[in-house]
Amino acid sequence: MKVLVAVKRVVDYNVKIRVKADKTGVETANVKFSMNPFDEIAVEQAVRLKEAGTATEVVVVSIGPAQAQETIRTALAMGADRGIHVQTDAEVQPLAVAKLLKAIVANENPTLVIVGKQAIDDDCSQTGQMLAALLGWSQGTFASKVDLKDGTVAVTREVDGGLETVDLKLPAIVTTDLRLNEPRYASLPNIMKAKKKPIDATTAEALGVDIASRLITLKVEEPAKRQGGKKVGSIAELVDKLKNEARVI
Amino acid sequence: MIDFAIPELDRLLIETVRKFITNEVQPLEPEVEERGELPEAKMRALRQQAQALGLFAMNMPAEVGGGGLSTVETCLVEEELGKTSDALIRRIFGQVYPMLMACRDAQIERYLLPTVRGDRICAIAITEPDAGSDAAAIRTAATFDDGAWVLNGRKHFISDGDVADYVIVMAVTDRDKRTRGGITLFLVDKGTPGFTVARRQPMMGHRGYGHAELVFEDCRVSPDCILGEPGEGFRLMMQSVSAVRLAHIGARSVGMAQRVLDLMRRHANERVQFGQPIGSFQFVQQMIADSAIEITAARLMVLNAAWTIDQGQDARDKVSIVKVFASEMLGKVADRGVQVFGGSGYSKDLPLERIYRDARVTRIYDGTSEIHRMLIARSVLRDGLRL
Ligand SMILES: Cc1cc2nc3c(=O)[nH]c(=O)nc-3n(C[C@H](O)[C@H](O)[C@H](O)COP(=O)(O)OP(=O)(O)OC[C@H]3O[C@@H](n4cnc5c(N)ncnc54)[C@H](O)[C@@H]3O)c2cc1C
Repeated sequence: MKVLVAVKRVVDYNVKIRVKADKTGVETANVKFSMNPFDEIAVEQAVRLKEAGTATEVVVVSIGPAQAQETIRTALAMGADRGIHVQTDAEVQPLAVAKLLKAIVANENPTLVIVGKQAIDDDCSQTGQMLAALLGWSQGTFASKVDLKDGTVAVTREVDGGLETVDLKLPAIVTTDLRLNEPRYASLPNIMKAKKKPIDATTAEALGVDIASRLITLKVEEPAKRQGGKKVGSIAELVDKLKNEARVI
Repeated sequence: MIDFAIPELDRLLIETVRKFITNEVQPLEPEVEERGELPEAKMRALRQQAQALGLFAMNMPAEVGGGGLSTVETCLVEEELGKTSDALIRRIFGQVYPMLMACRDAQIERYLLPTVRGDRICAIAITEPDAGSDAAAIRTAATFDDGAWVLNGRKHFISDGDVADYVIVMAVTDRDKRTRGGITLFLVDKGTPGFTVARRQPMMGHRGYGHAELVFEDCRVSPDCILGEPGEGFRLMMQSVSAVRLAHIGARSVGMAQRVLDLMRRHANERVQFGQPIGSFQFVQQMIADSAIEITAARLMVLNAAWTIDQGQDARDKVSIVKVFASEMLGKVADRGVQVFGGSGYSKDLPLERIYRDARVTRIYDGTSEIHRMLIARSVLRDGLRL
């Protein structure tokens, strides 16, 4: 069984995000990038499936600039077998990513596609769902547990009310939530091995996918500065303030 | 073109080490500092975890089971290790001296390989009560008698001397020749009759591992306990400590100073006095700017010296230059760190006061600042500065 994992290169979660002076986006010059944390969880899950003998091959895809190869290499050092890099310097929105992944799925024929539930840069949380729709496959999103059986996969999902378990027919799409697993450290021997693992390069044109943006970003702004809180003397005062000052009840 | 970029795979390794240090090792620091001892069970578990990740004895060649890193790579990794304490680094990632590559025949199975595997701990005993900076003046002597070498003498301040499974002992074998063919290195096992650990010598810092006084009284060892060639001990020691000195003092100081600067800048941004973050005061800014300047300089110096070693060129002057600069840089940065934190910097709630104490010895051991300055000056007077 082949597993396909999509990974995105994002601004590292430790970086304090700053908006560019011209408000066209966030500052990306001179900041640290790393693999989207939810994608790390996706890679870990795929590698575990391989270690358990369930998966035979783990293929990692990343869409982005030349440096996205590094993100792929990280996944290879964690234990994935080979990489596919769709090189583009353009902004690629979730629908375009889903279309590109669909084209790769057509070439690779994986039984399972695992992606992060969202990327921590734009927080869209759309790609997995869109890919499932485009392929007409079943989807198990926000997975905190993935249990593969013969021809099906049971996915425990973190939903607002608690946990929900769905049985999906394979092939299927799974999107990972935080509690699914704890990604491993890349070991020195695996880092050395990753050097020799292949990464195929391709482009959106070669895959025949139009990745032109359907949405236009007008302006990016810092969130409003947080105001200090106020202490209230009684419940009655609190209710009064919520009603008359904040006007939320 | 000179390429200063750190290769992608090295960056991955650095990232692994960084995460491991931050998540697994740093949390143990307060306990080690408080108890003065390492929690043994945890140490074993962490060492095994590090070994599984290939992070043990990374500086040793792959053929003997090490990580096979170049000197540049070793220094990049050591920079990350420097962000925790030496005691923890020793036990989790190993303190394995490249000098052990001089092991021959049965010595390989007995000393080299088990040390790289983490099964045996090695200490190096050069310093004596009457011979510190003047290492050539050691008195510990070995005389050949009835098929065995007989060691007599006293060593002190020997790191890990109390727990080491074996010690590499530097001894005089020919009083007339001394450094020119009269000093030899001996591999002496713990428990060899005549070899005792006299006492532990408590230190200002570096809590968590011991420094010991070792006594040799008619301690008989067989001729196959000689490391390297007889009479060539001084040369072997001086040749092989360069890379270790560069990594343990140069690179670790750079890492430790980065940790201090990071604490400093966060505090300077957050701590408010007189209605503004203290980072807005120029006196505080100067401490931060000077630290950033010196760390950057030290880091480039470390990497350049490491690269020189990897080219197979003589890097002794460069390593002396790094030894002085990096250790003194760390002293200054640690001092500023304490200052920027005020009373909290002096309190034991933060790691700064420990770092301040731990940093102090980097200007003393492995050759004092004065000795390295002397070596640098001699070389420059003789040949000019070779960059
Ligand atoms: C924590 C710790 C761990 C150590 N670990 C080890 C170990 O594992 N193995 C080991 O063998 N040793 C070890 N040492 C010993 C260390 O290497 C020596 O302390 C160091 O070399 C200095 O020697 P000394 O203490 O005898 O000082 P001295 O040589 O007596 O120096 C005293 C002062 O005189 C100055 N001085 C001496 N000669 C000159 C000169 N020619 N010109 C100008 N100034 C001079 C020195 O710079 C210093 O300021 C350790 C020491 C410490 C503190």
